[in-house]
Amino acid sequence: MAPIKGSSKGASSVGGAKKPPSSASRVSKSSKKDVKRPPPQEVKAKSRSAPENLKKTKKRVYTEAELDLPKLNAITPVGVVKPKGKKKGKTFVDDEEGMRTILAMVNAEKEGQIESKMMKARQLEEIREAKRKEAEARHAKKKSKLEDAKDAIRQKKKRKSGDDKPTEPAPKTAKGTSKPPKEKRKSVSFA
Amino acid sequence: MRQLTEEETKQLFSKLANYCGSAINNLIAPPSDEGVAADRYVFRLHGNRVYYLPLKLANLATSVPRHNLMCMGTMMGKFTKNTGKFRLNLTALDIIAPQARYKVWIKPNGEMPFLYGGHVLKAHVARFSEDSGEHQGILVLNMADQPLGFGITARSTAESRKLNPTDIVVFAQADAGMYLREEDSLFTT
Repeated sequence: MAPIKGSSKGASSVGGAKKPPSSASRVSKSSKKDVKRPPPQEVKAKSRSAPENLKKTKKRVYTEAELDLPKLNAITPVGVVKPKGKKKGKTFVDDEEGMRTILAMVNAEKEGQIESKMMKARQLEEIREAKRKEAEARHAKKKSKLEDAKDAIRQKKKRKSGDDKPTEPAPKTAKGTSKPPKEKRKSVSFA
Repeated sequence: MRQLTEEETKQLFSKLANYCGSAINNLIAPPSDEGVAADRYVFRLHGNRVYYLPLKLANLATSVPRHNLMCMGTMMGKFTKNTGKFRLNLTALDIIAPQARYKVWIKPNGEMPFLYGGHVLKAHVARFSEDSGEHQGILVLNMADQPLGFGITARSTAESRKLNPTDIVVFAQADAGMYLREEDSLFTT
């Protein structure tokens, strides 16, 4: 079935093709089927060894900063950074001017150090002096207190020896013999 | 033999400044007397030792091969190998003595202990420069103003007044007795 159908269709279409077609249809058809092309020529790709291909294209070189590598992965250790564009070798100082400038720098540094050291020492000395004075004052206070206490005791004793004769007989007679002196001794023992 | 680099000059001066203060200027350019330009003095490095000598002599020394040159001028001290710090040597005593900032004069009974390498005790001190700080470079002289050596103060002047007679006032670094005691090693390279 299908072949017959197809053949009839194909015949009709062939017949239609023989008629001069409209321009639009021709264009469309020519682009697709009937236009004769020159036989396809092989386009030779240039060999890799051709001089054009051998020429190296300049690749972009990335700087280390652009790569954003972690610092520890880099080849140069973190601490070692060589200054770029700096001349190798030693720079000698032999002229008087250069020596003077270095000397001035060193002197300024040293003076500063000495000054700060002296300041510190002075402050420490002041603090020490203040502490010493405070301690002395405390000591004097303590001593005076002790003296006062001693005086008080002495006076009491004196009073006892002086006043006892008229006063003592009364309490002794009133109370017992041994208890009152013991109480007095207790009151004395704070020092 | 070569000139000192910037870093080395800095090290040297900062060490000298401990003892001389700003008087190092006189070492670089000695004051000329009566219009006659004094010979310029320079520092030169040979091996790891620093020498102080007139420029004229330094120029002459360039004609001696390095291996044959033992020393020239006055040795000031040497740079340590690993850390690059500068150590002042006893031989620099005569150079720093006139420029010294802080001085201590010791009594005759203290001279011998000091010259045998001992520290300076409070009991031996006759006079002491005012306002010297702690751990400051100081020159040690006898009563006849002859320099005997140098050292480092143990305490500031104010504090050392309160010390006991047997306490150390100056730690000895170099004394003239080293010329005999270290005769063998003082100049060996």
